[in-house]
Amino acid sequence: MDILNINNKDYEFSLTGYETLLEVLRDELGFTGTKTACSEAECGACSVIINGNSVLSCITLAKDCVGKKITTIEGLAKDDELHPIQQAFLDQGAVQCGFCIPGMIIATKTLLDKNPKPTEEEIQIGLDGNICRCAGYPQIMKAVKHASKIINKDND
Amino acid sequence: MINKNIKEFINPVGKSVPRIDGRGLVTGQTKYTYDLKFPNMLIGKMIRSPHAHARIVNIDASVAEKLPGVKAIITAKDTHNIKFGSNEFFFPHTVDQLALEADKVRYIGDELGAVAAIDEETAQKAIDLIKIDYEILPSVTEMMEAIKPGAPQIHNARNNFGVILPVNFGNADRALKESDYVREDTFYASAAAHCSMETHVCIGHWELYTDKITLWQSTQAPFKVRETLAKTLKKNLNDIRVIKLAVGGGFGAKLEMLPMDFAACLLSKKSGGQPVKICYNREEEFSFSRRKHAMLYSLKSGVKNDGTLMVLTGEVYADGGGYCSYGPTVMAAAIMRIFMVYKIENLRITGYRVYTNTPISGAMRGFGGVQSGFAIESHMDLLAKGIGMDPIEFRMKNITHPNMVTRNKLIISSNGLKECIENAAAASQWNKKRGNKGYYKGPILKRGIGIGIAADVMGSKMYKSHESAGSIVKVEEDGSVYLFTGAADTGQGSDTALSQIAAQALGVSFARVKCKAADTEITPFDTGSFASRVTFISGNATLNAGKDAKMQILNIVADKHKLEVVDLDIIAEEVINIKNNSKLLSFDKALELCYSFDYGQQIIGKGSYNPKTTPVDFRTGEGNISGSYGFEAQIAEVEVNTDTGEVRIIKMWDAHDIGKAINPQSVEGQIEGALAMGIGYTFYEDLQFKNGRVVNPNFANYRLPRALGTPKMETILIETNDPQGPFGAKGMGESALLPTSAAIANAIEDAVGIRIKELPITSAKMIKALKEQNQKGEG
Repeated sequence: MDILNINNKDYEFSLTGYETLLEVLRDELGFTGTKTACSEAECGACSVIINGNSVLSCITLAKDCVGKKITTIEGLAKDDELHPIQQAFLDQGAVQCGFCIPGMIIATKTLLDKNPKPTEEEIQIGLDGNICRCAGYPQIMKAVKHASKIINKDND
Repeated sequence: MINKNIKEFINPVGKSVPRIDGRGLVTGQTKYTYDLKFPNMLIGKMIRSPHAHARIVNIDASVAEKLPGVKAIITAKDTHNIKFGSNEFFFPHTVDQLALEADKVRYIGDELGAVAAIDEETAQKAIDLIKIDYEILPSVTEMMEAIKPGAPQIHNARNNFGVILPVNFGNADRALKESDYVREDTFYASAAAHCSMETHVCIGHWELYTDKITLWQSTQAPFKVRETLAKTLKKNLNDIRVIKLAVGGGFGAKLEMLPMDFAACLLSKKSGGQPVKICYNREEEFSFSRRKHAMLYSLKSGVKNDGTLMVLTGEVYADGGGYCSYGPTVMAAAIMRIFMVYKIENLRITGYRVYTNTPISGAMRGFGGVQSGFAIESHMDLLAKGIGMDPIEFRMKNITHPNMVTRNKLIISSNGLKECIENAAAASQWNKKRGNKGYYKGPILKRGIGIGIAADVMGSKMYKSHESAGSIVKVEEDGSVYLFTGAADTGQGSDTALSQIAAQALGVSFARVKCKAADTEITPFDTGSFASRVTFISGNATLNAGKDAKMQILNIVADKHKLEVVDLDIIAEEVINIKNNSKLLSFDKALELCYSFDYGQQIIGKGSYNPKTTPVDFRTGEGNISGSYGFEAQIAEVEVNTDTGEVRIIKMWDAHDIGKAINPQSVEGQIEGALAMGIGYTFYEDLQFKNGRVVNPNFANYRLPRALGTPKMETILIETNDPQGPFGAKGMGESALLPTSAAIANAIEDAVGIRIKELPITSAKMIKALKEQNQKGEG
């Protein structure tokens, strides 16, 4: 029996070893917030956080995640409150079709957890693995900056 | 109180209210078709031709059928062999594709069948076991080869011309003679891919005993898909229900039925009624969905020394691929857009859309306008240069203006093009920067500034005699407002904008509105999300529905209070007696009254809108195609590295006549997104083929714009309050990428004096041109 800790909850599986984390999240558990647009580690839509790092779940084997802490987009909001990053994306108009947004928000969370006050260039580099075809990058950049402000104010 | 934000969102039109579907999208809870699954659901896969051009001799699926887990296999013999197309109404001769090809395949990937199995692996195994005998035919994959006499015939079309559009106004020959300066230029705009993040995906379900067909589809035009499905499956419209969920981008690729949609339904029937899901992977999306037409513009035009644009002549060739799709109207738009932008009396351009044995070209954001924008706006700069005139001065002299009828009978009412140019020029400090003035010109890095202008329609009749939209606004007794619209939000935010319009029309807070969009069995008809039509056309339908609902409420209030209904209005959540400007009762109380013992009347407002246009003859280009026209000017400042050929954008300015911004934040998002897309197309997006096969069908080899490298952008919204628009609004989803490539190419010429006429503008092309310039200088 393999145990995966996802969003602070343990899930038991018997994994063959071949399943990607993305398949387990979406097909086994119904965490469909995590998307993929390429299945080959190019688009970032499948990003999840594993032990504090942004990881592409489409090329990560679920078995390798046993014993680690996995956070998906579904794990960010608490009760009825959006996570400040989610709220910032909503407020700054950073969402168009929305398909890339879970991955973008995960990438943003990883970035801000490590570097709470990133420069413009650091944000661009932090999000460079994530494609938004609606190309709403200016508003996404605004959202990340705004989230950084809110998070730092909360921490001060 | 139904929502704590009710006060915040009163009078929502013109405010950047958050997306109505935003919470679901940022939490990952919103369901796309891609996320959907049903019990007993099968996975379908298309059987595709490995050959660019071949006759189908025999298909033997007997071994595949016996493979455990295979539930259904279909080929042309399971179908009625009815052809479909996308411009049936105006171009019936371009209806040229079968859902499953019976005799011939015309590109690598052409569909000749489909398999449904318990999983994708089994479906793929079955496809590998199907034995197909082909008689391979000579193929032609280059457009300029395909038009040569003796080239392989792909359809029954002379010289492989799927569409020929000769557009002729005035007397071109005389105008050329009367011109002081005449020049010829050839431009090439490359093929590109839509790359929606959510690939094409659908689930078909055919209930055997009721004969009811449901298709869940990632789509821009559910009603159009229903129509094509009904035709090809030989069913009635009301046998078919197409349901749109959240859509992960469309950009024109999801405007029509693909064979996969047809196949999902038919496979479901043949498997005994199990739902069948077909989802393209990224390689399939690149190779077998739709693409932007590569176009070649060969232009010869003349101007007077005083800057008067006399005449445009030439040919446009578009690589259409194996079938016509939206090609005819794309070609028409690619030629005729110029009439919206420039006052021009003489024009003689013939468009040729050419069949080749390559994947199908169709509609893509800009609809021929991106290619023509690059060609025409580059050409205009060169014409201005030829007579020594500043590009802005030249444009100001020739642009269309408010309240005019163009040579081809477009009726332009509001027109902010002049203001767009003036504002973009002022914001970018054009006069200070243009003309290679020394201070921003280093030894290696050289800066320049360039302009491009454009205009766009707000809708276009493409596949039906009308292009109406309908809306229903239902107000419940608890004061909640439900908007039912057939418009398809594919990410642009139309559900939000339409809900703002509904709330404003009704006089209530946006926070009351819930939007139910695009289900052919529930929501009113709407032709779809294309031609930047939704805010304008569906917006007007929604405005009418909101007003109708309001009148129903006011009639009851008037009756109860013994007042004249004309003296009443609902403003900011209150029923007002406008005679003495007094508050009569709150919206909630008014609804209590409507649903009271005395009245018990449901409030259901309806609205329909079909823009005031005149019949358009697509062949000649005459007629008023749209109810309103939008305009813009774009300026690019670039820095060219003369050592590496690299071009960096310092900043882009886009001044845009959007009539009225229903949601300024959304409008800016659309403009910035289109700009970024235009920049990608200018510098690196290039769908490449070898012998008819896409050779870069992935994000590693087909580069897309990313956060890193997105330059600074400034958007300037010009509000001209169009008399036809809902609250004065126009559509604007596509136009911001029309002039981008030309603005950049024009800026490059300003920086270093070289002219790139072929997209994409790569460093290699820049270096080559810079070298040639040096050699010329030395020689």
